[in-house]
Amino acid sequence: MTGSGVDMSDPDVVVVGAGGDAPALAWRLGQQGIDVLLLEAGPFHGNEQFPNPHSERGNAASASTEDLSGGLLDQQFTAREGDMGSPVDGKLRWGPADAERAPWARTVPQTGVISQVAGVGGTTLHYYGNHPRAFVPSVDQQPHWPIDYADLVPYYQHLEAVHPVKPAPTTPKAELFFEGARRSGYDLTTGLNVEDEGYRPFPNAIHQPDESLRRDGDYDGDFRDVSGDTLACHEHQGGPHPRGADFEDRAKRGSLTSLVPKALATGHVEIRPNAFATDILTRAGPGPLEACGVAYRDTWTGRTRRVFADCVVLAAGCIETPRLWLNSGLPDDGWVGKGLTTHHFDFVSGTFDSDTLEELIGQRKVEPHQGQAAGSRLDVPGKGGIAVNTFAPGITASVMFSESVDGFAFENDTTGEPWDTQGRVTGTKLKEEMSDYRRMLTLICHTDDRPRQDNGVTLDSNTEDEHGPVARLDWSPHPEDDERRDDLARRASKLLDEAGANHIHRAAAAPIFLHLQSSMALGKVLDSGGEALSVDRLFVADHSALANGVGGANPTHTGQALALRTAEHLADRYFDGVADPIPANPTPASADD
Amino acid sequence: MGYATGTHTSREGVAVSYARGTIAALVDAVVPATPGTGDGVQAAGALDIDLDETVETAFNELQEAPEGPIRSLGYETMPFAPLLALLLDVGALELILKREREAPLQAPDERFAGGPFSRLAREDRMRAIRLLEADGVVPALDERFGDAPIGIVAYLMQGALFITTMAAYSDWGDDSERPQGWEQADYPGPADGYAVHMGYEVDEFEENDYGADAEEGDAE
Repeated sequence: MTGSGVDMSDPDVVVVGAGGDAPALAWRLGQQGIDVLLLEAGPFHGNEQFPNPHSERGNAASASTEDLSGGLLDQQFTAREGDMGSPVDGKLRWGPADAERAPWARTVPQTGVISQVAGVGGTTLHYYGNHPRAFVPSVDQQPHWPIDYADLVPYYQHLEAVHPVKPAPTTPKAELFFEGARRSGYDLTTGLNVEDEGYRPFPNAIHQPDESLRRDGDYDGDFRDVSGDTLACHEHQGGPHPRGADFEDRAKRGSLTSLVPKALATGHVEIRPNAFATDILTRAGPGPLEACGVAYRDTWTGRTRRVFADCVVLAAGCIETPRLWLNSGLPDDGWVGKGLTTHHFDFVSGTFDSDTLEELIGQRKVEPHQGQAAGSRLDVPGKGGIAVNTFAPGITASVMFSESVDGFAFENDTTGEPWDTQGRVTGTKLKEEMSDYRRMLTLICHTDDRPRQDNGVTLDSNTEDEHGPVARLDWSPHPEDDERRDDLARRASKLLDEAGANHIHRAAAAPIFLHLQSSMALGKVLDSGGEALSVDRLFVADHSALANGVGGANPTHTGQALALRTAEHLADRYFDGVADPIPANPTPASADD
Repeated sequence: MGYATGTHTSREGVAVSYARGTIAALVDAVVPATPGTGDGVQAAGALDIDLDETVETAFNELQEAPEGPIRSLGYETMPFAPLLALLLDVGALELILKREREAPLQAPDERFAGGPFSRLAREDRMRAIRLLEADGVVPALDERFGDAPIGIVAYLMQGALFITTMAAYSDWGDDSERPQGWEQADYPGPADGYAVHMGYEVDEFEENDYGADAEEGDAE
């Protein structure tokens, strides 16, 4: 703590991270007149204070919606796969804003791929806008949550109104999926609160497309004359569409374009990008330890500064939040960093012949690159979910055919299995698969994997960067998680078969660290209001606070809902409370429960 | 011209570094040139877009060198490309010694290095990777010394395949207006939009009742 300057700003609350969830918390606190400073390790895209975020530092911070620029977003978000999404040198990567530098280190001593993004908006910069609620039984019947599903509902409703979250439109690839689901015997789900199996359009935080973009219509414009989604399928590349629109009117409602403007508009929120937190500052309180500030390092200048506040909120994600906690020497009763869930992904693809497609969807190709990247899904509470997940060719090739825990397809016997090939595909076979890209439908399986104390984040004391010892990640599935994943892969395969696929491939994917949850869980490390059990005035408001993997539903909606709820508890406990509570009568939570 | 360090000279007289030449054998096995396949499969392969260079650069820029001995040797980033090459040769050697090779050794392509990995047939190169990440001596050490992060070898192997494949099929490996991999997939590149809206399967989701049926438990 010596030798670093004291930050001149004087926030009430300092938040580590401005990713998917923190802007929800900041917005809610800002609405109560509480001054919030967010420290974000990565860049701030589409902001006049940082016009060239990957080549120069720009100014220190942004605190006004006046700084937000749709023009800059169009310039920076090119929608090219490698330029945006290369995990090594892409604009959306886990690394410093400075493109000349390498990504930040993690130690992963196992087969796996990490897919996180540093920057304002965090991993919602490349998410698909998917906002299903948690499966009801994953909250009310699994033993992990100290609160009820009903406690989350008002916050879900709030977010569904403000993003907004709406049914995704049917597109040809979605119709192909729906038909496979119907023929497999599933019913259509129309309710938001999911307890039973069924298929449905994804509840997505993507503005619905303009009605002029009907397939059977005669639209021939340049997609700058419409509002809402243009169905360009560039969610993974940042999704800047429609081009030319105002910053806040971009169709995909990632935190950067949806929640950050709302937070800044309160006049009480400041975001400082390029600021990597390295230490949580504490002081002895009347009872337990009390958090009182954060030390952070400017990723361009290397200068370390301290900022003091009445409360500290950690929202650096499931890997960095526990790393920062452990590097700060805070107490650990055995669950800090542990209980990590990942949705134990798998991928299953089907390739169709043109006559089948013509008959089913009225066109001779699937066209995976058209329409929302993930617009249709099948829920299987207790097991997880299956969703259409489509990508441009680079990600298609890498997730479908390059990553697996089951070796190489040319060695694997699939006799008796519902898929034709399994494992990595290389050589001529890979080229053949990719030649069929436009007739291929790719599905993702999100497994309801359960929290286990062996899985999670520790410090790698042998590897230190400028922010201290780096995080080490260990995660392996329990046999029951493998069983659930197998069940989902079989359902996905059957669905594709029923839709008429003539070739089915299962990746048997290696762990992909993308959907991360529950490494600083409510009920384990945190009380039911999101405050640390062992450190007062220290809260966690990212997906690490989730008590489990929410059943395999995409986690963003629940992460943001919980962040809103945690903001209200923070305001209740340490400030003047909430003037306009969501819900009207918040469930009381104490630091002890 | 020992293969473990430095360079050797190809038949065309071009210097090929050990790391680059070994990685060339990797990318060639993942996306080979396939002249004469016809049927809409592109003939060009990874080496036609110098993917060996892309993957070598990516590995050498994978992460910054930590404070300590590596940095004091003058490296700003971890020299993972030569490490990858060395590991591939270790895997190849194990495959050869265990007699698990399924095709004869071959003279390395002129863009390859001279080590054992570069002399394996394409599928045998993948079998060598399999030994490194799952079935061979290195993963066996990982089982025995659980706390030492030997499993990083498996992570690097997965990374090598992921990076090779993603780069081969995107602008990462070919920054031209129309990358080779997009061409092969018949992907038109980024678009401003598509008029493919077909209406709604559900017009509005409803706030339905819940909690009537209930059983699940699976406590851990």
